[in-house]
Amino acid sequence: MVNENRPPRRYKRSNLSKIVRWVLGIIVLSYIFWRLYTVFIVQNEYTPDIWFRLLISGLVIGGVYSLIAIGYTLVYGILRMINFAHGEVMMIGTFAGYFVFEATNAIKFTSSSGEITSLSNAQPVLAVLLAFMVGMAVASTAGFLLEKIAYRPLRKAPRLIPLISAIGASIFLQNLAQLLFSPLVRDYKNPALIARGQGWPVTIAGAQVVIPYTGVLTFSMSIILMFALYTMVKKSKLGKSMRAVAADKPTAALMGIDVNAVISQTFIISGLLAGAAGVMWGLHNGLVYYYVGFLPGIKAFTSAVLGGIGNIPGAMLGGMLLGLIESIGPTALGISYQLKDVLAFVILIIILVFRPSGILGEVLSEEKV
Amino acid sequence: MNRNLFTTSINKGFTFGIVMIFLVLIDFEVMAATMLSKLLGVNVVRGALPEVRFMIIFLVLYGLFVGWFASSDQEKPAKKLFQALIAGLTVAVVVGLFDIALNQLITTGTDVRAYLAALGPASIKLFLLEKGALGSLLHLGLFTGASLLGSVLKILLKSDPMSHFLKGISTVYRDLRAKTQAITPNWIKEYGKYLLFLLIGLSAFFLPRMWGSYNNYVLGLVGLYVILGIGLNIIVELSGQLMLGFAAFFAMGAYSMALLNAPLPHGIMLGFWPALAIGVLMAVLAAVLLGLPVMGMRGDYLAIVTLGFGEIIRILLKSDLLTDFTGGPRGIQDIKGPTLFGQPFSSDIDYTYIILVFMILSIFIYKRLERSRTGRAWMAVKEDTKVAEATGVNIKNSKLLALCLGAAFAGLAGGIFAARNQFTGPNDHQLMVSMNILSILIVGGINSVPGIILGAFTLKGLPEILREIENYRLLVFGGLLVFMMISRPEGLWPATRPNIEKDEGNRQKAESPPGKGGQHD
Repeated sequence: MVNENRPPRRYKRSNLSKIVRWVLGIIVLSYIFWRLYTVFIVQNEYTPDIWFRLLISGLVIGGVYSLIAIGYTLVYGILRMINFAHGEVMMIGTFAGYFVFEATNAIKFTSSSGEITSLSNAQPVLAVLLAFMVGMAVASTAGFLLEKIAYRPLRKAPRLIPLISAIGASIFLQNLAQLLFSPLVRDYKNPALIARGQGWPVTIAGAQVVIPYTGVLTFSMSIILMFALYTMVKKSKLGKSMRAVAADKPTAALMGIDVNAVISQTFIISGLLAGAAGVMWGLHNGLVYYYVGFLPGIKAFTSAVLGGIGNIPGAMLGGMLLGLIESIGPTALGISYQLKDVLAFVILIIILVFRPSGILGEVLSEEKV
Repeated sequence: MNRNLFTTSINKGFTFGIVMIFLVLIDFEVMAATMLSKLLGVNVVRGALPEVRFMIIFLVLYGLFVGWFASSDQEKPAKKLFQALIAGLTVAVVVGLFDIALNQLITTGTDVRAYLAALGPASIKLFLLEKGALGSLLHLGLFTGASLLGSVLKILLKSDPMSHFLKGISTVYRDLRAKTQAITPNWIKEYGKYLLFLLIGLSAFFLPRMWGSYNNYVLGLVGLYVILGIGLNIIVELSGQLMLGFAAFFAMGAYSMALLNAPLPHGIMLGFWPALAIGVLMAVLAAVLLGLPVMGMRGDYLAIVTLGFGEIIRILLKSDLLTDFTGGPRGIQDIKGPTLFGQPFSSDIDYTYIILVFMILSIFIYKRLERSRTGRAWMAVKEDTKVAEATGVNIKNSKLLALCLGAAFAGLAGGIFAARNQFTGPNDHQLMVSMNILSILIVGGINSVPGIILGAFTLKGLPEILREIENYRLLVFGGLLVFMMISRPEGLWPATRPNIEKDEGNRQKAESPPGKGGQHD
């Protein structure tokens, strides 16, 4: 037959979306270059100390984002679901830390030199440690219960069902906090030793820059926690079983791993990190209210995607990067500081459009997705 | 008795006790008692507390529920009673310990409202039934007794009305319809539909005139949310893309109306109808611009991207960058209403008519779309992308079309909303709006118009009428989303499509087995 030798007919496929993608990408890129050019070359009015200050604040916020992002990534790696309520877990941790500081601040006694001080001022190390411990414990309990109540019954449901359940849980927790603690914005009572706004003065290019104590505490704490987590995942038995469950649930179960227990433990660990991040957020930013977890939650999700979701070093890197972009970006691009949230969302969209697997992420096969 | 029975009952009782404590901490018990009081005909002045007896009724109802829930279905009556007793006692002990702490607060006069906003002395006194320390003993008796009673009720009633309720109004409705169809004469069957339409049309014409302006406001709100729900349903359910930033399209419509038809900031005063049309077009344009790059993205990523898009639009509307153009955080005021044949047509009643007309139009369009070639293509894409592609459906185009159509409905609703309120601002377009619309779909039943109307009424209409529960609306709604996903993911009034398919199959091939039914995501 004649027709058999004919090459299969090619159907013309719509390339419009690809073109729009690239046009949008080029517009965004050229806008960024134009703004960078005007700010750095044409105007050039910012001195190095300003950049240094922004760098510090970016690193501090980045550390917090990293910790929350790890929670997203751990859960995503194992359950392939976006734990939308993770920001609320952080909010719960922030509140727990707030109450610890309120309590330790309320306990007054007379010190040896005769003046009346509160416990948190006399024993700041103890108070901070206590706040971190309580915050982490409460947040991890919340994470554990969240999984047990809202996600476990939906283990076998289609993908979007757990996501909607997570959104519901997020709204529920936010409003519970609002009803319990009223919509007031409250002040964190830091111990006097690490009061907000105080720090070590450093001279950069002839100008003084203050490195805040809370920033140093927050950053070092986040590095320590990330290191601990990484070692745990790589070295411990629990970490090994977590990786096994993430790779293949049925096979892991056949090898004698209790999958449900591992999932619970994953939520507990991500809750621990989110709780610590919450206390840090409170210590450094000083504000706590029912909505405090929402934006950091979304930003941390953005960081997790930025680094490659499911990938722990990716989440750390993504968090730090997003923190830096958010703090340096508005100034570097010469736009209003109000728009830093827009910047984060735009980055999220760009990453998801052009490289959904993130910076360090592997390209997932269809089945795994 | 069985030790397992004992521990599970204790666990259940403990959970219920903790829930009760939370209810007290958020002042829910006072709201519930107020509602009960109103239901039983004793009006409560806003801000005042209800009488003690209504608090007792609420606690007894709670105890009944505990007993009902704790006594499991399989057990013998004696064991059920035992379970209820243990659970009730546990609740009573947990709450009793909490009572002692509360009583301590009252007697020492400590005010904890700085931390726990709802824990005022008056409501604590009411919760302790105005008996102070004795209150905890009273609670002990109340909870245990009521729990036992609940178990007795369960034993007596045997069938479970709760599960009936969960089976949904739709089943009840279908049963009813089947029964009535058997006894109705033929001419009603044939022309009854038109009669019903006529009746609805007449009542839609006359009712708004008879109602007060507040009722019209509520009705209009429900109607607008029905339009929004239909729009989102096309995107989420027909074409299977989870969209969390629907409020962005709503904002497009609202802001087009505001910018084109208000004296400030531009003073264009184009008129209501052209502005509405432009609003719809702007929403569609936004959908194309959003849709082209992100089409073909995985479901949950798409959800997050659309969420980000919604937030970007809101923040931009609010920011200094666009203050001169959009009025910034203060929004835009004095949006002019529509005129019809030269007459002003913008009282509350007129808006109700406009909204009803557009609502009926949307329902009509939706119904036509659902059965059309496009609608079936969307269904195919949703069910199995690869098979759909193989049968010649252009996936990206069909998804994009769904996004644009859904956005058009949102733009329409946004325009009417802005003109009706004579105001729009960034706070009208928060993430919560998107979530509310999504929950209308989920609560009401995805893919079914009666479900959407029911959902819009429960989520937007009821809270407007029952002002007491306003504070708890979002809390209840968040909990409801989780609960619905776990127990009834298809909604209160699920779609009838599987049955239709089955019927058609039967008609065509009477001998072949009926088509695939029921399984819905």
